[in-house]
Amino acid sequence: MSDRLSFHVQRDSFLHRLNPLTKLTLAFALVVVAFVLPFYWTPIFVLFAVIVPLSVSGKIFREFSWAALRLILPAVGFLFVMQALFQPIGEQVVFKFYFLDATTESVAYAFRNAARIFVMISAFTLFLLSTHPSELMSDLTRRGLPSQFSYVVISTLQIIPQMQAKANAIIAAQRSRGLDTESSFLKRAGALGPLVGPLVFGSLVEVEERAIAIEARGFTSKRAKTSLYEIADSKFESVLRWSLVALVVLSIGLNLWHS
Amino acid sequence: MNIEIKSLHFAYPDGTEALKGISLTIASGEQIAIVGQNGAGKTTLARHLNGLLKPSGGTVFVGDWETTQHPVAKLAARVGYVFQNPDEQLFSRDVLTEVSFGPRNLGYAKEKVDALAQRALALTELSEKTEVNPYDLSPTWRKMVALASIIAMDTPIVVFDEPTTGQDAANVARIARVVAELKREGKTVIAITHDIDFCAENFERVVALSRGQILLDGATRDVLGQEAVLAQTYVEPPQLTRLGKRLGLKETVVNQEELLQALKK
Repeated sequence: MSDRLSFHVQRDSFLHRLNPLTKLTLAFALVVVAFVLPFYWTPIFVLFAVIVPLSVSGKIFREFSWAALRLILPAVGFLFVMQALFQPIGEQVVFKFYFLDATTESVAYAFRNAARIFVMISAFTLFLLSTHPSELMSDLTRRGLPSQFSYVVISTLQIIPQMQAKANAIIAAQRSRGLDTESSFLKRAGALGPLVGPLVFGSLVEVEERAIAIEARGFTSKRAKTSLYEIADSKFESVLRWSLVALVVLSIGLNLWHS
Repeated sequence: MNIEIKSLHFAYPDGTEALKGISLTIASGEQIAIVGQNGAGKTTLARHLNGLLKPSGGTVFVGDWETTQHPVAKLAARVGYVFQNPDEQLFSRDVLTEVSFGPRNLGYAKEKVDALAQRALALTELSEKTEVNPYDLSPTWRKMVALASIIAMDTPIVVFDEPTTGQDAANVARIARVVAELKREGKTVIAITHDIDFCAENFERVVALSRGQILLDGATRDVLGQEAVLAQTYVEPPQLTRLGKRLGLKETVVNQEELLQALKK
């Protein structure tokens, strides 16, 4: 059996070869630009002119599309509907749902916010799909970040797939004891306790065991650590990172000037 | 209740072909150990018995039920499965509630649930610990709680996944007593194990798997005597068996008693 313990998908591509910090900077920059640039279509432009082409060139378009359609779109779609119906702005009603009105303005407002959230999650999905957590950790540590901080970042990136693998094992164990997880919604809702209990407790135990295990191997040692991996970086990437930072500053400046 | 496996094939979603045409008949009341190297397909095979995995090809019958035709929750009434890691199933506030969970799911009357739980607790020597939170117990006792929670379901077939891994000698002996009691009650016991001594002492039939296929299947003595064949799946016969061979004994011995008898001859 194979359980993926991170989102990373191994491919030989330009995107994969980029330094992890460059990709992280890019993800942050895209999010900031999508949120603060005072042009209505900016998030859509960022999505279709930057994120989607990057996923294609990174040879991870299939995995990216899967995540976008199965995970991001439903969440963002829900947000769009809620904001379109509940945002009390505008007068020209375009849709009525019982006593709730969606106006031209509320739909436009909801669409812009939904697009921004879509860009935010997409940018980090792209980052996670193309960056192995250990590479990111090595690079961050090499740049002088405390190893404890790097560990927190890596743990955060790994926790969802790890919990997914653990949840699958727990579901199998409880189903084997006759727990019905396949029929009606009510029965499945009733099955939550036996599933969540071992998941939470197991995760807490795992965190403690992992903390002890890495401490036993000198994790908090004050001596300079040796890096096992050589993470490639270049002058070009350094320039690219600073350019992205400049873009962020420019976007914030434009936003302030515009308002 | 017999188990009939015919030409069982299974491939995981990533394409790994874990089982390649397994055919196996397990008669009611048999005690079988499934051995083999890591990745040989032992757990994959066992998870087909209660429907957790569905065949890519072939059939698995438990009694007159084909496993693809019934949900796991229903098959749980026929096949109990003790997982390797007890922490993947324990959630109740006390041992008694935890052990009662399985029979309650099967819809038994309260009196029957209580009787089954008490019997399972007695069998696993947990009767004094019924009010303790399972997570306040040591890992070895948590293993016994997991085991009791399956025995309480009173299924005709019980599958143990690595029952002795990480257990001290006292607990291995406890598990052996449970296996013996289940045998006495006429239940079918199937164990996936790397503990070849436990296998030799408690099981009458051994199936050795290698790369998704059956390498050997027969009486424990016959299978464990084939050292060269077992080596293909990285299984070593028990130390006593190898000692017997080194001493030039003609018959295969699998436990101390048999070795002593052979030496006396």
